[in-house]
Amino acid sequence: MTDRKPSRGLMILAHVGLVLLVAIVLYPVMLVCKRAIEPGTQFAVGASPIPQSLTADHFVQLFSERGQGGDLLFLRHAANSIIVAVLTTIVGVSLSCTAAYALSRFRFPGRKAGLSMFLVVQMFPATLLMLPLYVVLNKLHLLNSIAGLVMVYATTAIPFCVWTLKGYFDALPRELEEAARIDGASQWMIFRRIMLPLARPGIAVTALFSFMTAWNEFIMASTFMTNQARYTLPVLIQSSVTKYSADYGLFAAGAVVTSIPVMIAFYVLQRYLVGGLTAGAVKG
Amino acid sequence: MTKQLRDFGITAILAIVIASGAFVAVRNADLAEHQIDLATRTAGEVAAGRDPLPGPHAVIVGPATASPTHPYLHHRTLRDPSTQLAEGPLTIAAGPDAKLFYDAASRHDRGEVVAELLADASGRAIAVRPLAHDPTHVAIVLTRAAQLAPYPGLVVIGVLGLGLAFAAAGAMLGGRARHVGLFAGIAAIAIPCALWHAAIATAAIVILAAMVALAQASGLTDRLARGLRTNKTALGFLAPAGIAMLVLVATPFVIGIMLGFYDHHHGTWTFVGLANFGEILSGGGRPLDDPLNFWFILGVTVLWTVANIILHVTLGVLVAMVLSRRWLWGKGIFRMLFILPWAIPNYITALIWHGMFDGQHGAVNSILHLLGISHVSWFESWATSFAANVITNTWLGFPFMMIVALGALESIPRELYEAASVDGASAWQKFRHITLPHLKPALGPAVALGSIWTFNMFNVIFLVSGGAPGGSTNILVTDAYRWAFERGERYGMSAAYATIIFLVLLLWTVFGTRIIRKKPAIGDEP
Amino acid sequence: MKLAALAALAMSIGACEQPSNNIVLWHAYNGAERDALAASAATWNAAHPDRQVELVAVPYNAFADKLTSAIPGGNGPDLFIYSQDRIGDWAASGAIEPIEFYVDDARADRFADAGLETMTYKGSIYGLPLASKSLVLYYRTDLVTAPPTTTDAIVALAPAMTAKHGFALAYANGDLYGHAPWLHGFGGTVMSDDGTLHIASPEAARAMSFARQLVIDKVVPDHAEGPQVASLFNEGLAATVISGPWFISDIGPNVPYAVTTLPTVSPTGELAEPFASAEGILMSARAKDKDAAFAVMDALTGDVAALERARRARQVVPNKAIWSDPAVVADATLGAFRAQLAHSVPLPKTPAMRTVWTPYETALGEVLTGHATPAERLLALEKEVAGYTHVERP
Repeated sequence: MTDRKPSRGLMILAHVGLVLLVAIVLYPVMLVCKRAIEPGTQFAVGASPIPQSLTADHFVQLFSERGQGGDLLFLRHAANSIIVAVLTTIVGVSLSCTAAYALSRFRFPGRKAGLSMFLVVQMFPATLLMLPLYVVLNKLHLLNSIAGLVMVYATTAIPFCVWTLKGYFDALPRELEEAARIDGASQWMIFRRIMLPLARPGIAVTALFSFMTAWNEFIMASTFMTNQARYTLPVLIQSSVTKYSADYGLFAAGAVVTSIPVMIAFYVLQRYLVGGLTAGAVKG
Repeated sequence: MTKQLRDFGITAILAIVIASGAFVAVRNADLAEHQIDLATRTAGEVAAGRDPLPGPHAVIVGPATASPTHPYLHHRTLRDPSTQLAEGPLTIAAGPDAKLFYDAASRHDRGEVVAELLADASGRAIAVRPLAHDPTHVAIVLTRAAQLAPYPGLVVIGVLGLGLAFAAAGAMLGGRARHVGLFAGIAAIAIPCALWHAAIATAAIVILAAMVALAQASGLTDRLARGLRTNKTALGFLAPAGIAMLVLVATPFVIGIMLGFYDHHHGTWTFVGLANFGEILSGGGRPLDDPLNFWFILGVTVLWTVANIILHVTLGVLVAMVLSRRWLWGKGIFRMLFILPWAIPNYITALIWHGMFDGQHGAVNSILHLLGISHVSWFESWATSFAANVITNTWLGFPFMMIVALGALESIPRELYEAASVDGASAWQKFRHITLPHLKPALGPAVALGSIWTFNMFNVIFLVSGGAPGGSTNILVTDAYRWAFERGERYGMSAAYATIIFLVLLLWTVFGTRIIRKKPAIGDEP
Repeated sequence: MKLAALAALAMSIGACEQPSNNIVLWHAYNGAERDALAASAATWNAAHPDRQVELVAVPYNAFADKLTSAIPGGNGPDLFIYSQDRIGDWAASGAIEPIEFYVDDARADRFADAGLETMTYKGSIYGLPLASKSLVLYYRTDLVTAPPTTTDAIVALAPAMTAKHGFALAYANGDLYGHAPWLHGFGGTVMSDDGTLHIASPEAARAMSFARQLVIDKVVPDHAEGPQVASLFNEGLAATVISGPWFISDIGPNVPYAVTTLPTVSPTGELAEPFASAEGILMSARAKDKDAAFAVMDALTGDVAALERARRARQVVPNKAIWSDPAVVADATLGAFRAQLAHSVPLPKTPAMRTVWTPYETALGEVLTGHATPAERLLALEKEVAGYTHVERP
């Protein structure tokens, strides 16, 4: 964009506007933080996002709640969540990378149809796919297993990941591959040694997306897993707030703790995020 | 010859799968029929006062008599003709099958006809008949456990060999005989099915055989095989994702669509054809302004999607345009803070906003109060409730558009603007002729994807307004959910809804992308 | 190192079902209720090393739907704890096992008749009762001198409470469950005794008008749910609250309160009767070893286990022997809950009842906010619900 500095007034206006918008964006987040560190179990009363008194009770309660085997619920669920999210990321990204590469670099009958299928399957509401999915998982003996949940999340994430990565691969120049092919490199070598390293920003974005898919989901996790020992964090947090009785303090503490890993991931990956999502579409 | 055998091999595997399925179904049905028949006939004998047929366990169970102290509690008696013992109480001490007898007698008393296979996969059948001379007592017969007939492995090998011979003979004769041989070879696998009276499987295999023979005759199978060979690498790369999607997305998808043609009631599914769709599309006989009428909900959903997309894109692009200025201070920090809503799990966001819009204590009302605006009961009128949903989802959704727009803006060559400035273009002209054309290709797919997500945004609607007031802010997905889980488990209706949602979205994207751009960016040639 | 991590991962994935002899019991209990149940299960497990009870906590929100989908697939538990209102549904679809075969007079003698009878459906018994739950009246002893026995007495608290921006009464007025005491106090019903819908009646309309009037007069907040009710009570902004036993754990540590039975509805002079639901242990129709599963049910609903639950979790247990235990007798709160049960309406068990909740709450919401008139809205409601239930197709 133009580098010319605008008038001082306009600059101040832009900054003030942004700060105001940031305040609106941050307000709910601050309310949650306030709720987490203020005593009491009710939802925040009043508009001020600044806590009147401090307590660590909610966090202590969150971390010290024990399940029936005497194990710490939070740690157990956090471990499940991490395993599920990391595996989903690995599986989802691996599958998407190869598929996106094939769709970007090869011409074969059914390619276009395949591509639009990836978009089209998103249109069937996921919430309503649960019942059929339950039947399929049951037949495959993948109910109540971490592997089953990982596969479900990975396939949920694949369409978006393929879509993004294909755009990214499309934007990469073909000359390097041609050179490598002349040197006798196999297709797999080219993919592995040249394309993957070049596509790192795109991969980072899809990894983040896959991770979030698994990290944030609770409806399927609570339906497909029967054993409490295999629940993930969102299930634990969501169950602290029901229509009948709600411990918003515990909920807020859980919300803060769950959100932090994703925020860190976003912070680390944000420079990739900007280019990674749009590379294919804006290549010119 | 090899091509002939290749086609035969692949198709024969398919045909044998079909035949095996038919065999399992037929033998299960046979076994059930035989066992139930045995139980029924034996019960008939005993009820008529004759000796039971040898084998099954036959007993006579007395009527349910209410306990004198607990009128809702009933006891029964048991007499076992084989042990010659007197009639005694039917309790757990009466043997391992005592409970089966008790429950069968109770069901008989409720008017059910009991003659069925037990659900425990033991192959036993049970049947109940009232005694001819004393209808208060019933004869109950439990057959012995039965084994299923073994899988006819030899028959399959024989049939396969026969088919192979046909196919090979045809190939050797050459010409038209090749296709006839192939057809006959595969169709031979249908012979056992025909002998088992499995009509559907027989027909399926014969049709399969005809299709493959025709495909071979027209050279289709050759072309397919060649296609597979030349695109080996591409398909290898695509296969892992493809298989996973096939199993965990496509299969549930097909099941989901099929369920829409059934009605679910108390655990039983009945095929009802297009009745569910008819009920939905006719609005269930409700007036158009009834919040439960499909067309009303569709209107709300479209409004919801359009409102959100407009707000997300406008806000996203606006913020991105400011953020992409070089002179801005704290750019990285601003960008990070704006992404925050995206990073927080959306069910948490939705619950927070639900609390903030609370009529009594909500933060939103408290702020309005400070500004001198009186108490708003957000979820009590359609407009405010809908607004609450949209506000929440805008907060949640604009960062995605902002990031996409930011990426697009940063890729615009600076020289274009400089050249435009030299030509004396106004800020609006620059936006109109440089910025917008560059934003479009990136925003097009993002809008397509965003509108699909918003259209199906279950969490926000369900957790923020929950449809209040009176279900009028429900969108199609949440209403479909209610059919499944709050209105007597009408899964069929819910699945029909899902299919309609799918079709609406398909139309939406097909026409939507046409309007935004002549051709969608997704799938463009690189 | 890498290998070890991979192996650990593989283990965590592979650690799936190993077929076992255990009796699996699902429950949605938390806190003290869970501890009391766990203690009784531990007693059983110590005595039966070869037949362990495995307690699985399942979140309440997902509980019923999960059971409905898990049992037919053979993935469900052997036993589970649920309130009686879904028995009709599950019995009709063959998901739960009738157990009256096992129940002899000696076992039935253990329970108060009303307790065991709630577990029956169409002449069969489907569970053994654990505890009964109903709404009662909580009041702040610093704001209310004598327990209010009539609704007029509660309304009389309003001026003082309104003056400090509070309310005389707070209850979940948008819920059918919360509204039920008025409905029954005016003589209205949801289901008639033969299990058919009977929603629209002049009595039900009067009950709705009454609830609306409470809102208009600012006796109660205009729309309250569980969490808000608790915060109003704790802050002293609600003098009385109508809620169930779960409310005790929501009350702040320094709040002086007492519990009493629901008041008389002043316009009719009849008692406000809440719905009473009974929780019991039910057996899945797919339970592997039904004799053993029943033995577990029997032990967990026995007097020893019941005493544990009454003392630890203050459950209103149906076991007659418990009510002579000195610790239980001394518990005034428990006493109030028990007294309320005598004046309550058992929650209907018919499948149709389950489709009533949400539509009724929608209608209630519209009437409470003045967007609809009771009589007309109830007629429309009855038509709507009938549409969901009478869908028997050829």
